[in-house]
Amino acid sequence: MRQWWSKIARVFRKQEDLSDDLRQEMDAHLEFMIDENLERGMNAAQARATAQREFGNRTHVGEKSVESWQFGWFEELRRDGRYAARGILRAPLFSLIIVITLAVGIGANTAIFSAVYAVLLKPLPFPSGERLVWMGESTPSSSGISVTWINFKHWQQENHSFVAMAGFQGRDLTLTGHGQAVLTHAGVVTSDFFPLVGARPTLGRLFTAADNDPHAPAVAVLNADFWAKTLGADPNIVGKSITLDGQAITVIGVLGRDPGFYTRPMDYYLPLRPTPQEASQRDAHDSMRLIGLLKPGVTLAAARSDIDTIMQRLAKADPGPENDHRVFAQLLSVERTGDLKQPFYLLMAAVSLVLILACANIGGLLLIRATTRARELAIRTAIGAGRSRLVRQLLTETLLIAAIGGACGLGLAAVCLHLLQTLGPRDIPRLSEAGLNWPVLLFAAVLTLAVALVSSLAPILSTGKVSLSILIKEGTAGSGNSSAGHALRSGLVIVEIAVAVVLLFSSGMLLRSLWAAENVNPGFDPGHVLALELQLPDAHYASDGAVLDFFQRLKTALRAQPGIESVGAVNCPPAAGDCGDWWYSIVERPAPSKDDVPVTLTNIADSAYFQTMHLPILAGRGPSPQDTASSPKVVVINDVIARRWWANPRAAIGQHIKLGGPYMKGPEVQIVGVAANVPQMGLDTEPQPQLYFPVAQHVSNGMVVMMRTRGSPESMMPVARRVLANIDRDVPIQSLKTANEWLGATLARRRFITLLLALFAAIAVILAIIGCYGALNFWVNSRRQEIAIRMAMGAGTAAILARTGKQAARLGITGLLIGLAASWGASRWLGNLLFGVSVHDPLVFSAAVFFALLLVLLSAAVPLWRATQVDPIATLHEV
Amino acid sequence: MEPVDRDFRIGYMSSMSTVDNLPEGERLELLQGTLEVLILRSLKLETNHAYGIAQFLAQQSDSEFVVDNGSLYPALQRLLQRKWISAQWKTSPNGRRARYYSLTPEGRKQLIRATTKWERFAVAMARILAPEG
Repeated sequence: MRQWWSKIARVFRKQEDLSDDLRQEMDAHLEFMIDENLERGMNAAQARATAQREFGNRTHVGEKSVESWQFGWFEELRRDGRYAARGILRAPLFSLIIVITLAVGIGANTAIFSAVYAVLLKPLPFPSGERLVWMGESTPSSSGISVTWINFKHWQQENHSFVAMAGFQGRDLTLTGHGQAVLTHAGVVTSDFFPLVGARPTLGRLFTAADNDPHAPAVAVLNADFWAKTLGADPNIVGKSITLDGQAITVIGVLGRDPGFYTRPMDYYLPLRPTPQEASQRDAHDSMRLIGLLKPGVTLAAARSDIDTIMQRLAKADPGPENDHRVFAQLLSVERTGDLKQPFYLLMAAVSLVLILACANIGGLLLIRATTRARELAIRTAIGAGRSRLVRQLLTETLLIAAIGGACGLGLAAVCLHLLQTLGPRDIPRLSEAGLNWPVLLFAAVLTLAVALVSSLAPILSTGKVSLSILIKEGTAGSGNSSAGHALRSGLVIVEIAVAVVLLFSSGMLLRSLWAAENVNPGFDPGHVLALELQLPDAHYASDGAVLDFFQRLKTALRAQPGIESVGAVNCPPAAGDCGDWWYSIVERPAPSKDDVPVTLTNIADSAYFQTMHLPILAGRGPSPQDTASSPKVVVINDVIARRWWANPRAAIGQHIKLGGPYMKGPEVQIVGVAANVPQMGLDTEPQPQLYFPVAQHVSNGMVVMMRTRGSPESMMPVARRVLANIDRDVPIQSLKTANEWLGATLARRRFITLLLALFAAIAVILAIIGCYGALNFWVNSRRQEIAIRMAMGAGTAAILARTGKQAARLGITGLLIGLAASWGASRWLGNLLFGVSVHDPLVFSAAVFFALLLVLLSAAVPLWRATQVDPIATLHEV
Repeated sequence: MEPVDRDFRIGYMSSMSTVDNLPEGERLELLQGTLEVLILRSLKLETNHAYGIAQFLAQQSDSEFVVDNGSLYPALQRLLQRKWISAQWKTSPNGRRARYYSLTPEGRKQLIRATTKWERFAVAMARILAPEG
């Protein structure tokens, strides 16, 4: 190894570093010659001069000697490299096209790979992140629900699979005493949380087990950002207190760096403490989930059955309504990005297809070039160059140009990645961490190498088939092409068209899905609606009366504004997702079996909500001001629930719903109305069962006030802020946006993925047009004599077109058929990314066919035209 | 041993006369192989330094063959690299320190191989070039 290094080093230092041995040896040599000259009777000066002259150029001798130390193959590589560089420069346009094609292929792939790597492949930034497990409870009908405090304690103490286990949840609190009240985000965690995620304090201490005691003093650990931004990085903060929701909480420490465990940045951490109920009842749920660190060598399945055994034991020792609950455990990495796997791998697949097209194009170009160079190669073979030598020459040339293309591709990738991060949806975890790091650079390098090897395959295969004598004889009019070369070129055209069809089809499917999602009828009129999201601080609004009074005053004040038509309030606006769900059953129907109790989303609305949103009431009535805490409990169901149980929504009115289902405690409420469906989980989702409680019977601090405006909703934003501040300036605004924004945000990921896929399809089509054009053009060129003869024999333009066009059509249709067959299979792959479109949508299929035919036509037009322009006399004279 | 020496000279000279008409690059390539064999041969009986080898080759070829240092030194390096010769600093009879080369066992084997090859080459060349009749 050392010898190798010295050799390599010498290659780069040969000018300066003549070894001492060699220098001394040459000195000695010179002295011998001087001695001899002196013996012949010369004087000293003459003897030296003559000797030096006879010895020759010392530097030259030294250099040549040192050169012989270098590797033979390195020398040859350098020669090949020089030759390749000359070859590249000799055909600048050809080289430029290859470099651009490569840069696009490698750039797009590298950018997408760096995103995939950051989001899906890179280990989580926690110590032993690959062994971290996310845990919740599971029931026969739902999984990943919250873990109760008592279950957590049992799991923590009795398991044999985990090194440590911690509970966590989130809570929003209002910070006061530091200027305007602000809504802050807290991570509520048990003491083992910090070591598991690798967080360390820069000031003070972190939580100990004692801090999870319900009677311990209220304490908090701050995040560095919050400490710096809100508290002015006070170095003596430890021991001081901050006011959260009106309660003084002592700061015990400051974290150096946010561990980044929660998907949104947290301001501080509070110790997780059970309520008296949670500490005594095994089925008292809050929203706690767990993370655990698997012991080395323990599989996830083993850990699951370990915890399940504990749950089975508990079902006997401490029986209750949740005897059938088990653990839901998932690797944290999977839990975090599981739903991104499919879209990201889809993008990766699409971009790989683009790379295949780039390879095919480059291969095609090299093939054409190799064919025009066939004569040169034949002559070199004739004078003794071995096939391996020629192959190496071709490879070196391709490698060099691939390296240049790869370097340009990296530059392009950097730009694309930046765009991806700026334009991509914010909710993709860790996308912002993507960069051109080592694994990504390695990927790009391997890709470049692979492209070089694959693209030079075609020309190399065809050199094997050249027949020397034919080539040298035929090599007159540039028609040195073998049938093998033709087969390869035809194959490339077919592949290009097929790949383009697949990408056209997939992006067409996604575009249609996006179009369908954008045009989903949300069930209400989202134009002219402004949504003001509020969360009242518990401390100031402790009683239901205070909350209701606040919202009543706010709504009245807003309605008094001239630009506002009507004002309603809802707990969970359309497309906001799941703000709460519960089991239910219909009292008038037979009780479902324990495993079949249906689940519904729950929501809260006031009397003006449905009218403000223009959300139709299909039967009965909406919530009314007469539905108060003391009046009979009522509920408004949506159409999904109504249609599940009754043929006609009207039949639902007057029937009763038992919340919690037949097997759990819960109130019974009467159905008074049926409302139209809304896409609660996002515009591209099917409506879910949902029910609305009247505000006064189900008071919540968190409500979204909906305003229907006369003019543009944006213009009313300052008004809404001012009205709110007049009523209570200590209530923070969680968000203020138009209903359309609210709805559209749910499609951000879909738009992003569709846009990228459409972009790849566009690149693919351009590449395919260039590739097909090149191949067909060459085909026409090499047939000029044949065409000329046909023309001379009287064939008209139509006959020539028919003949040449037949070739293009044959290749085009073969490619199209293969592409359609592949698309048929690929559409299953798109799976749940499709929305509002059938898996084999005929419209998209025909559009893909149309564009593919257009592609063939575009790329064939110029070559066909050139075929008809052949001048028979001039061409035949060339021979 | 004498016949071998004569054949060497014939071999060298006949190749020289052919090579002269070839372009620069080709000549070098042919000369390289030749020179290395000649160096091995010069070291067969005694160790020698670069100057001594050049002298030996000039004398043995009746000064028809003047070795260019630009060829001699690289050839020595190649032989060293192939481990056919080894080098040692020694003091010459007239008191100068010089780098002395000697044949390694592997070099000796190579010399026999090369000699056989060159003999066959020379005989073949001589047959073709011999005046008719």
